[in-house]
Amino acid sequence: MKQKDSDKPTRLKSGFWIILVAAAVLELTACIQYFCSRAAIQQEAIDRAQTELRLAELEINVHTVAIEEAAQMLAMMAERNLSNPQAMYASTRVLLQTLDNIESAGIAFIPNYYPQYGRWFEVCSSRTDKEGEEAIYTRQIGGPNHDYLNTEWFGNGLTIDSCWWCEPYLDDAGAKTMVVSCTYPVKNPKGEVVAVVCIDLSLDRLSHISNYLQVYQDSYYAIKSSTGLSIVDDPDTIPGRKYLTFDEEIDATGWHISIIIPEDILYADLRKMGLIVTILMLLGLALLVFIVYRAGKDIKVLMTLNSQKERMLGELEIARNIQMAMLPKTFPPYQNRPDLSMYGIILPAKEVGGDLYDFFERDSKLFFCVGDVSGKGVPASLVMATTRSLFRSFSAHEHDIAALTGEINDSISETNDMNMFVTLFIGELDLKTGELHYCNAGHNAPVLIERSNGTVVEMLPTIPNLPIGILSGYSYTPQTATIQRGDTLFLYTDGLTEAENANHEQYGEEKMLEAIRAFETAQTDLKDPTAAKREIEALLDDVQAFVGDAEQSDDLTMLVVKWLPVEGEQTETKQPLRHSIVMRNDIQQIPTLAEWVESLHIPEALNMTMNLALEETVTNVMLYAYPNEKGKVLIEAEKTDEQITFVITDSGVPFDPTAKPDADTSLSAEERPIGGLGIHLVRQIMDKISYRREEGKNILTLIKKL
Amino acid sequence: MTTTIQENGNQLIALFNGRLDTAAAIPTAEAVKPLLDAANCEIVLDCSQLEYISSSGLRIFLSIRKEAAAHGSKVIVRNINADIRQVFMMTGFISLFEIQ
Repeated sequence: MKQKDSDKPTRLKSGFWIILVAAAVLELTACIQYFCSRAAIQQEAIDRAQTELRLAELEINVHTVAIEEAAQMLAMMAERNLSNPQAMYASTRVLLQTLDNIESAGIAFIPNYYPQYGRWFEVCSSRTDKEGEEAIYTRQIGGPNHDYLNTEWFGNGLTIDSCWWCEPYLDDAGAKTMVVSCTYPVKNPKGEVVAVVCIDLSLDRLSHISNYLQVYQDSYYAIKSSTGLSIVDDPDTIPGRKYLTFDEEIDATGWHISIIIPEDILYADLRKMGLIVTILMLLGLALLVFIVYRAGKDIKVLMTLNSQKERMLGELEIARNIQMAMLPKTFPPYQNRPDLSMYGIILPAKEVGGDLYDFFERDSKLFFCVGDVSGKGVPASLVMATTRSLFRSFSAHEHDIAALTGEINDSISETNDMNMFVTLFIGELDLKTGELHYCNAGHNAPVLIERSNGTVVEMLPTIPNLPIGILSGYSYTPQTATIQRGDTLFLYTDGLTEAENANHEQYGEEKMLEAIRAFETAQTDLKDPTAAKREIEALLDDVQAFVGDAEQSDDLTMLVVKWLPVEGEQTETKQPLRHSIVMRNDIQQIPTLAEWVESLHIPEALNMTMNLALEETVTNVMLYAYPNEKGKVLIEAEKTDEQITFVITDSGVPFDPTAKPDADTSLSAEERPIGGLGIHLVRQIMDKISYRREEGKNILTLIKKL
Repeated sequence: MTTTIQENGNQLIALFNGRLDTAAAIPTAEAVKPLLDAANCEIVLDCSQLEYISSSGLRIFLSIRKEAAAHGSKVIVRNINADIRQVFMMTGFISLFEIQ
């Protein structure tokens, strides 16, 4: 079996595309999410930084404004006490005592303003770490070592007529740290600037204030003066690291506060999230790959099963054709046999079926059979084929219909491992006399349509017997009937009577008989050779109309045999006695006799008594006519509207049951003889009994009037 | 056709089930042998499941009846259906037995 190689690449390709698309979608989603989060974080950082900056600015302003006011206040005090240089000492000291946040305060005079002090005169108070009086250290610091005249702050203070914050510098004399000073001019009454007030703000203190500018871990801030000198230092930025910077300017002093946030700190969480999402995505993809691979394997299994199924269906199709070919193709009338018209069909429920029919004509005799193998499908069809070939081969040499059935049964029973059985009806119709010998093996009784006296549609009296294949060596009881020209035999399998519609109702025997009756009454031309086929078509239409859309549950078979009248043909028929049975000289056949009487469909009230009368008669024949030997008893029955007639014929020793005296029923129990009851009963039951001996046969006739 | 015999104190009850025709008469005759030897008891022939009887079956009933009389036992025939009754009528057996 060739595997389709194009399957594999197709499978791989489609699986590959699925994974690719899924990965692309996932990656796209992740990227979008990443950038949105990033933007959100950035915005958050901006908002926080700006808020903090503003707060810082306010805080710083608080301090700077306080210092500016202090500077102005000191200048004012100095201006009032210009004539008293000693007062300068006190002023600066007082200022420091009053305002806690000032590190040092000084008043620096222009050269030689106080001649007694010489060129430099700068009074300064600053804080020490000592306690009490010595907490504030007040002194004059101007001198050649501290030439304040050349400092920037002094220069600015002289020229600028308002508070001025100078650039940071190291105050070696006063606070001895990096400071930033606020200067303010001191003017004499003439408005000339005579001194500069200088109040220092230690940068340490500033860095202290701005603690909350650390908004993120590892983020830092810087405060720079307007010229870019560092007031609060920023640690060295690492080259290559990316930073976000936020600025705010402090109006009063012209300083710039910046918050500097390393980007990797800012986006640290985002990066972590991104990593987790990526891992999850890869796991998801791995799972997808696994699923696609497994699905691919399942698809492969499915496709293999599919191609196997198709191959099987193909072979079943061939088997069906073979089976259909086994059926006879052409139906009578044949050229040399114009008085026989037949038609048959089989509708199998599956591709191959277990129903069969067969027929052939030989020496003016028609051999035919209809059968139904238990089950359906391939096993049934095999048994069907076997049965059919046995029928053909055995009927070539076997003329006794009961023996024929027995041989087929023995053959099938021997090889019956699967316990399959076949119901079979075999018939042999003498096309010269209309005598029908038949033997039933568990099959449905055929329908006999008699046309010689109106249209009578009835089941052919049939003993069931056992189906073929159940008991090897079983002895089949044959039967005989006589038909007239124009009569029809309708054979079928239970696929017809048990055909179900959607409501699980069965078509049934009644409907079948009705349909046959309808057709036959309408069919007036008894010589019509097309009638057989049309009869089957009519039945098929009727059952299909009943079944509707429901699925066919069993093989459906029909076979019609019509014995046509022909111009000038003389029929060598005897006076018809409709039904007969041949029994062996065996007490065990008595139940079979009961079945046969049952099948005659005599009025129910008489069934038991007729049965009893026949049983008693036949038993006597077996006892007295065939005391020691095997023999056969022929029982014929004829029914008219007025009476039923039974004729019992045997070829045993002469025996006249009517000669026996009747039993005396008035005797008591002790006096009653054991024998004699049988004949007594027959006499009681039947209206007329007559005996004759003819050609070595005992012939007893029993008549019961209806 | 099956025949079963039950003992119930002084009663022997024979149950016939099926069709007592000529073929069935042979095994049934075997089955009722215990009844033929029973002395001084009441023999009940329960025919409620008996569908059919022919002369061979009647013979069996008659022999039971004769033997019972000889052994001092009583025979009762119980629950015969319409068909059996008709046969009993035709043969006069209706007066040979106590029918219940």
